[in-house]
Amino acid sequence: MTMAGRHTDARAPIVRRASVPARGPRPAEELAEELGPGPFALVMLFASPEADLVRLAGQAARIFTGARLVGCTTAGEISRAGYDEDTIVAVALPASHFGAETLTIPDLSRLEPRDLTTAVVRAREALAQDHPAFAHEFAMLLVDGLSVKEDELASALATGLGSMPLFGGSAGDGTRFRQTLIMDGDRLLRNAAVLSFVRSACPVRIFNLDHLVPTAKRMVVTLAEPRRRIVRRINDEPAAREYARLLGKDGQQLTPFTFAAHPLAVRMGGRHHVRAIQQVAPNGDLLFFCAIDEGVVLTVAEPQDLALHLERELDRLGDPAQPAAILAFDCILRRLEAQEKQLTGRVSDILRRHGVTGFSTYGEQLGAMHVNHTMTGIAFYPPGTALPEDG
Amino acid sequence: MARISDWLIDPADTQERTVEKLLTVTEVLMRQVEQASGERGAAYEQFRRAALLEDRVRQRTRDLEYALRLLGETNGRLATAKRTAERAQRDLANAIEAVQEGFALFDEADTLRLYNSRFCRDMPDVRQSLRAGMPFSEYVELVSLSAALALPPGQARRDWVAARMQRHHDRQVFNVALAGDRWLQVSAQRINGGGTVMFQTDVTDIIRLERIERGKMLDDQARIIRATLEHINQGVCVFDAGLRLVGWNQRLAQLLDVPAAVLRQGTGFDSLHRRFGHDSVYDEHLSFEALSVWAHGNGPRPPLSFEIRRPSGVILDGFAQETPEGGFVISFSDVTRERLAVQAMLRANASLEARVAARTLDLEAALADAERANASRVRFVAAASHDLLQPLSAAKLFVASVRDDAQNPQTRSPLEKALNALVSVEGILHALLDISRLEVGESAVEVVPVRLAPLLAQLTDEFAPVAAGKGLRLTILPCRLTVASDPAYLRRILQNLIGNAIRYTRTGRVLVGPRRIGGNVRIEVHDTGPGIAREDQQAIFREFHRLDGSASASEGMGLGLAIVERACALLNHRLSLASEPGRGTSFSVEMGLVASRALHPDVMAAIADEPRDGSNRIALLVGSDPDLRRDIGLLLERRAIAVWEVGSGEEALALLDEIGIVPDFYLVDHESDHQSGTGMRCVETVLALRDRHGDRPTCILTADPACGTWAVGIGCMRKPVDAAALDAFLASVASMPARP
Repeated sequence: MTMAGRHTDARAPIVRRASVPARGPRPAEELAEELGPGPFALVMLFASPEADLVRLAGQAARIFTGARLVGCTTAGEISRAGYDEDTIVAVALPASHFGAETLTIPDLSRLEPRDLTTAVVRAREALAQDHPAFAHEFAMLLVDGLSVKEDELASALATGLGSMPLFGGSAGDGTRFRQTLIMDGDRLLRNAAVLSFVRSACPVRIFNLDHLVPTAKRMVVTLAEPRRRIVRRINDEPAAREYARLLGKDGQQLTPFTFAAHPLAVRMGGRHHVRAIQQVAPNGDLLFFCAIDEGVVLTVAEPQDLALHLERELDRLGDPAQPAAILAFDCILRRLEAQEKQLTGRVSDILRRHGVTGFSTYGEQLGAMHVNHTMTGIAFYPPGTALPEDG
Repeated sequence: MARISDWLIDPADTQERTVEKLLTVTEVLMRQVEQASGERGAAYEQFRRAALLEDRVRQRTRDLEYALRLLGETNGRLATAKRTAERAQRDLANAIEAVQEGFALFDEADTLRLYNSRFCRDMPDVRQSLRAGMPFSEYVELVSLSAALALPPGQARRDWVAARMQRHHDRQVFNVALAGDRWLQVSAQRINGGGTVMFQTDVTDIIRLERIERGKMLDDQARIIRATLEHINQGVCVFDAGLRLVGWNQRLAQLLDVPAAVLRQGTGFDSLHRRFGHDSVYDEHLSFEALSVWAHGNGPRPPLSFEIRRPSGVILDGFAQETPEGGFVISFSDVTRERLAVQAMLRANASLEARVAARTLDLEAALADAERANASRVRFVAAASHDLLQPLSAAKLFVASVRDDAQNPQTRSPLEKALNALVSVEGILHALLDISRLEVGESAVEVVPVRLAPLLAQLTDEFAPVAAGKGLRLTILPCRLTVASDPAYLRRILQNLIGNAIRYTRTGRVLVGPRRIGGNVRIEVHDTGPGIAREDQQAIFREFHRLDGSASASEGMGLGLAIVERACALLNHRLSLASEPGRGTSFSVEMGLVASRALHPDVMAAIADEPRDGSNRIALLVGSDPDLRRDIGLLLERRAIAVWEVGSGEEALALLDEIGIVPDFYLVDHESDHQSGTGMRCVETVLALRDRHGDRPTCILTADPACGTWAVGIGCMRKPVDAAALDAFLASVASMPARP
């Protein structure tokens, strides 16, 4: 996106966005000021774990009366500056063009798919009745990134959502992996998710980018602890050591940057899905960001040039019209890779130029799937834009 | 590296270790394939399934949702339709309720579907039982049982129901009487689909108003009737069915001579009848008792006429007639005067008839006298004419001889005039003779087929010179038709008509044209003469009538048209005249046509054109015109007759004296002496020849029909000479004895 385009957005933005330092005195007020006049259907807050989440939620709930308020902690934000840190990013959908409904899923360890489906269907119907004039719709999921329940949740939600496309992001905690929080109104929840249903006058396009190419290097998980997403042994060897052997590395040298540079994926039906490693346990186990099981064949994938790929893909979103805004949930591993390869500046520039807002996640959801190492998001187009039916 | 499993093997491992690893790997793979990891791998399984099926599931889901949405829309439309129907039902109910009349709708099965609150409002007992779905018959039954219904007098409830059901099948409007002098107008109308819509309107007020109006109207009518009754010259009394007097006029009291007090409302018929009946005389057709019986009669009374005579002598004509209400009207007219007049007329009639009979007898006698007188007149005229002709001929001869002897022109001129006068008298006598013959009747005529061609040709020859002499153009059109007529009289008719035309026409022309009209032939004679005024057109047919008083006697005796008329009447030829003063005159004679093939063979022979053998005959031909002599000579010679031609009477006498032979017949040209101006006149020649050489058949050739030669008993032949006429003459000659 060009500078001129951004100015146009600033003057008559369909989707409002703002960002403030995480530790400012009145972040919510400042955000409200920057977002401009409401009313809003939905306000999203993506906050650095450094922010005072409790105060933020309380203030925001008071300020954005009448709007649905959702949010989560991040592993880094994407603001007007591109990759950003220690900030609170806000995205607001004005009621003039959007209608929103939210559903809280409070305890992910006790998912009842049937109840969930019922609740989702009701929420969708209520939204459709309230806003019959808005032809376009989508669902946005914010989920605790350390709940290890994203796969089951996404799968359970799919039934109820039906044709309503879903995208989502797992809340992050920097690179600490200790606590991720979900904001639902003025409440902060752990081990929970909040699902936003949105109808809009704006055509939308949900996208999912990954720049990885699988290699011939394969391995088999021979011992795992699926509930905790832990792989203990690969090829009947300690998992970390065997992963390192295939990369030609020493088992002791493995860092998040290694995982970012050499992601693992599973191949299914001609496609590949990244199974990202979160960290190496001291005992040599590998802890994953997503569901894993014994007998799974893992393939080592090699990333392409992140910046080039991103630029190309975001450019493609500009066809047939420039999006009014792009909301993106970007995997923490991509940020780490850019950092490792010293591409952060370039990537930030690309994000800035394309008007991307969002945050870095511990995982992304697309439809019924929980995936890693992708940028998953939504592009909003001006009302009346005719989009090719792209499934 | 060729196998995807190559990377499973760590080259640093021993063989045993490698085998052990591979077995382990194989085991987990097999377990994974068999999905034996159980609950432990549920999350991954979900991911795997989502990854594999996501697209297909989403597509199916989208299709399902689409179907659901359609279903939803259809449901929505159904709901809308249902709401619309309900609203329509509601609107209909409201509309029906808004109707001011009672309204009910029966469906095609004749059951009550809808009705408003005003329907049957005046019949509370019916109203109570009304319900949707009630059959029409039940409704009618209910109404018939209603206390509010006033059944028409004399109609049973059952009959009312039957009539109402019958009426239901027709579309109509009718009134129903309700108790308490209330009226309901019911308008039933069939609608599309077979249902019936019924409106009930309370028309009580209208009917009451109408009743008042009608009462008013009746009052008016009564006044008018009263005035009319008083106006008319008849006495009128009106009785109701109970034989009570309900109407009369003052004239009645006068005529019947009853006190006015007797005439009052309610007076019984018998009482009134006795009043005027006891002293009246009834005619033979109807007695006092008969009138009473009629008045008291039960059934329909036939109209009745009667006559009574009052003691005062007044005769009254009574006429009694039943009124529709069962009463009757009797009117009386004073016919005294008419009766007297009739009697007087009857008397007059009788005397008149007697007088007429007497007169008729007188007239019959007079008519017989007249007929006798007429017959004797005709006989007298015929006899007189005939008897007069002989001495007249002698007188002529004497005068002629004296004239011829007279040398002195002064003496000769009066003699000449005297001779002419005698010739005229002779002509008149001949005409009179003709007329008398015609008046004798049909016995005198013989109707035969007559060919017009020779006849017209003869007429042409005869009249052409006369017309030319007057400077007139005469045209006689030829005709090949044959008619039914008497040849001699037809010739006379045409001669007279053509002669008259030429005589009275000073300039211009005369046209004779036969014309075929259907089965008749009409011969028309037109001239450009002075014409005949309408008032004179009858008179001209009278004897001795002449239009042109100045015409000399030699030009006609005024008998021509009288002869024409009588001849036509006798021959049954239609004679007509069309004329206008100054525009000429046109006579026409119409006679029957005879088809030429129907000609009688004898007649054909008699007038055959072919020459006949006349051998051994000698003709003496006297004529001053050499051309004429030559032509006739040729005709005769062709018939093998010897011809002695001479130029004058003197030459003829000289020739006969010289040769001493008497010819078989004489032909003398009438004009021979006229042209010379001197010498013997033709008649004289003939008389001289007969005198000296004996009476031989003689024929004078003449162009002048009025020449009078025939009057002295000499036959004549019209010029130019027609071969047929010549043959006819020769035939008559042949029948006579040959010359001595």
